[in-house]
Amino acid sequence: MSTTRRKAYLDALVAALVPGRDLLVAGLGANARYLPHMDVPVPCFALCDAMGSAIPLALGMALARGDRRVVALEGDGSLLMNLGTLATVGAAQPANLVVIVFRNRHYESSGGQDLPPVEVDFSVVARACRFARAEDVPDAEHFRTAFERACVAGGPALLVLETAFDPAEPIPPYSERPDEIRLSFAQALAAGR
Amino acid sequence: MAGPDVTTRAGARRIVEALEDAGVTIITTLPDTWIGWLAEEMRRSARLRVVDVASEEEAIAIACGVNLTGARAAVAIQNAGLLNCGAIVASLVQLYRIPCVLIVSYRGNERDPVYYHVPKGRMTEPTLQAWGVRHARARAGEAVTAQIAEAYVWADEERAPFALLFSAEDLA
Repeated sequence: MSTTRRKAYLDALVAALVPGRDLLVAGLGANARYLPHMDVPVPCFALCDAMGSAIPLALGMALARGDRRVVALEGDGSLLMNLGTLATVGAAQPANLVVIVFRNRHYESSGGQDLPPVEVDFSVVARACRFARAEDVPDAEHFRTAFERACVAGGPALLVLETAFDPAEPIPPYSERPDEIRLSFAQALAAGR
Repeated sequence: MAGPDVTTRAGARRIVEALEDAGVTIITTLPDTWIGWLAEEMRRSARLRVVDVASEEEAIAIACGVNLTGARAAVAIQNAGLLNCGAIVASLVQLYRIPCVLIVSYRGNERDPVYYHVPKGRMTEPTLQAWGVRHARARAGEAVTAQIAEAYVWADEERAPFALLFSAEDLA
């Protein structure tokens, strides 16, 4: 099991985001709860519900805005809920979509229950769905280079981040309301951030 | 009774032209037989990108992503798929107040008495009513063009979903 905390990956991701190039979509849960407390330099749309919808939401943005790179953050439980979305992405072949899956094998937001006890190899599934690149990332040290490879994959890319699960992790609560999130995303996008 | 004349595709073409005129550039779809007729016409359009999906919930989420960037999308699905979408409608479309126009084949309505479609036909409009999703049956013939334009204006102004329900005759 990984000892790398989610926040370490998020720190590395935020440092790698490029204003004017990247858009960020976060699925419900810890990522969406951490991001408002970080200095995210690009438009960010964070979900507080709609489990499993971060990747298709990001796909829509990627298809509509071919001039921007869209990064979707999703949990392994959320991806399991909507695994078919990898086939949809593979069929659409957006060259500007990077999917990042945090794999901690738990439903963290709902109390830390175990996922179904089966080791789904998301990278293998993604490659079978015609993702241009899919790789597992063992720790935050390797994130930056893996992200750079994903960004130049020439097609949809997926990174699976091995993430520690700590039921005592002090994840901040949701701090933005949906209308605020929608408006701030639109404003940042219009401003060319 | 003779079925709809699917060889003309006049209804489907009318809908596609109305979507183009409304500024739609991306349509997400999971077809049934009727939506399949429409999808064939959509794929002939040089102004529309058709995105094939694995589930109807995805179709709605993708359309929301398109709309959040300021572009316009449509979702083309069967009512059975729409009935799967209560959570995504509530927790994405309505929670974040994202305009979303749904083009829905209305299987099992009084003009489609196929026994296995009848139960979902019976529950379609009451379910949309319960979800708080504004909806209308498609107007016949040319009148649907203005109705589609009105659906987009309404969805944008109210920042809400709008479902247009189509019979076979409307799509053929």
